[in-house]
Amino acid sequence: MRHPSEGILRRLVDEPAGVPDADRAHVAGCPACLRALDTARADAGLVGSALAAPATSDVDPDAAWARLSTAAAATGGSPAFRPSATSARSRWRAAVRRPAVAAVSAVVLVTGAGVAAANDWLPIFSTERVDPVEITATDLVQVPDLSAYGDLQVVREPEPEQVADAATARERTGLAVPEVSDLPEGVTGDPTYQAAGVVEATFTFSAAKAAQAAAAEGEVLPPPPAGVDGSSLRLQAGPGVAAMWAQPTGVPTLVVARVGAPTVASSGVPFETVRDYLLSLPGLPDGLADQLRDLSTDASTLPLPVPAELVTSSTADVDGAEATVLTSRNGLFAGVVWVEDGVMTGVAGSLSAEELLAVARDLR
Amino acid sequence: MSRGRVEVRADLEAVFREHYARVVATAARVLGSRDQAEDVAQEVFLSFGRSSVPAGEAGGWLTVAATHTALNLLRSGRRRSAREETAREAPVVVPDVADQVITRDERSAVRAALARLPAKQAAALVLRHSGLSYAEVAAALDLSPGSVGTTVRRAESVLLKELNRHASPE
Repeated sequence: MRHPSEGILRRLVDEPAGVPDADRAHVAGCPACLRALDTARADAGLVGSALAAPATSDVDPDAAWARLSTAAAATGGSPAFRPSATSARSRWRAAVRRPAVAAVSAVVLVTGAGVAAANDWLPIFSTERVDPVEITATDLVQVPDLSAYGDLQVVREPEPEQVADAATARERTGLAVPEVSDLPEGVTGDPTYQAAGVVEATFTFSAAKAAQAAAAEGEVLPPPPAGVDGSSLRLQAGPGVAAMWAQPTGVPTLVVARVGAPTVASSGVPFETVRDYLLSLPGLPDGLADQLRDLSTDASTLPLPVPAELVTSSTADVDGAEATVLTSRNGLFAGVVWVEDGVMTGVAGSLSAEELLAVARDLR
Repeated sequence: MSRGRVEVRADLEAVFREHYARVVATAARVLGSRDQAEDVAQEVFLSFGRSSVPAGEAGGWLTVAATHTALNLLRSGRRRSAREETAREAPVVVPDVADQVITRDERSAVRAALARLPAKQAAALVLRHSGLSYAEVAAALDLSPGSVGTTVRRAESVLLKELNRHASPE
């Protein structure tokens, strides 16, 4: 019979009972497989040691529980929330007005910088999600990290930083931080301000690198269309400003942000060709790919770069602009984003959509 | 206001006390930092408190949530530098395996490699080494049960390559 795969040998190390009898019998009598099994066992042991956690036997659950109770009481159990996903959505929204930008935004979600966002949506038990909770100025302006598929050179750094106040943020970026007149219930204290300049990068597609990336996923790279190998994209995003209110634990309750929409230009083959090819690469979720293809042919709909099982979207009017309202199905967070004159404004947090819309309509 | 805030579930404290140490250990496995691991645990339990995950599934859910949250933190590159970190941290407890001496530098190298692994490989590796069964890892990551071994094995090979590269003279 055939030799069992490396994966089966690996399972044999941990869960022999989970391996079919025929495979176990083969391995027991096959010197080559026994050697491979020994190697797998040794490797697993080494990695186990390398991944050993710092000592945690003396954690203090009482102190930790006190900290959690305080946070839960203060926020009504505010969930972790990831504002950078909102900025990704915001680029989407801007993108609808400019299809070329849209595709880059889409690619953001499935590669590199977008990996962070996509990771957040990895399924975990019972379709619940937990996201990291930080927002930094870096989240405001990002270009897709396409470095797995070619050479990504950052031409201009956004130099993101936390700034002292709204006036400084405006001075740095030329963008006024939207002012919230009435804070919703549960949002207290003074916000922190983040500012980031324009980020600009050049991406040159490399078939060799993309083939490596595909190989790392155990896939074979589809052959690139003529001219794609070596073609370049110039990506630009920003500047951006944000004000964030958070609980003492750092869990954000409300984020108000304004960001310049990203742009893209191509040299060599048309941008759409590069985009479509990137979309065809292994590892792209089918549903997302379909939404992307829809986007290029029909810019009148707003495809959302988040799985439909996680977020529901609707539209609402914010002072004459059509805003997209995103609400997580588990009720943990919501966001409202809209675009005017190439500038996206977003309001998001662990509040209800109604509360956020009230904030959005009241911004000065 | 049509949607009120979700109340914190009543069994949160019981679940917290039962699972806290293990959740911290899982996050610390990824981050190599006890302080950051405790921060991750806070966020994970806050989210659990507002979720409707059945209490019977809490253990698995919390392990998966801690793994994703810690990996996200690790990959976001916003953590303090590994060097700064290891200087402050308590000594690492390495399981008693003969001939396996892993230096602090090597552990930093491993965490850097972990941050660069494809997301599913990294998550599968950490979940497996945190004690989840192959079936549980498959369910958590939407993998077919048969491919968990392959995914974990591939991740281990990459990490070891990184270790050997680190160990060999420049």
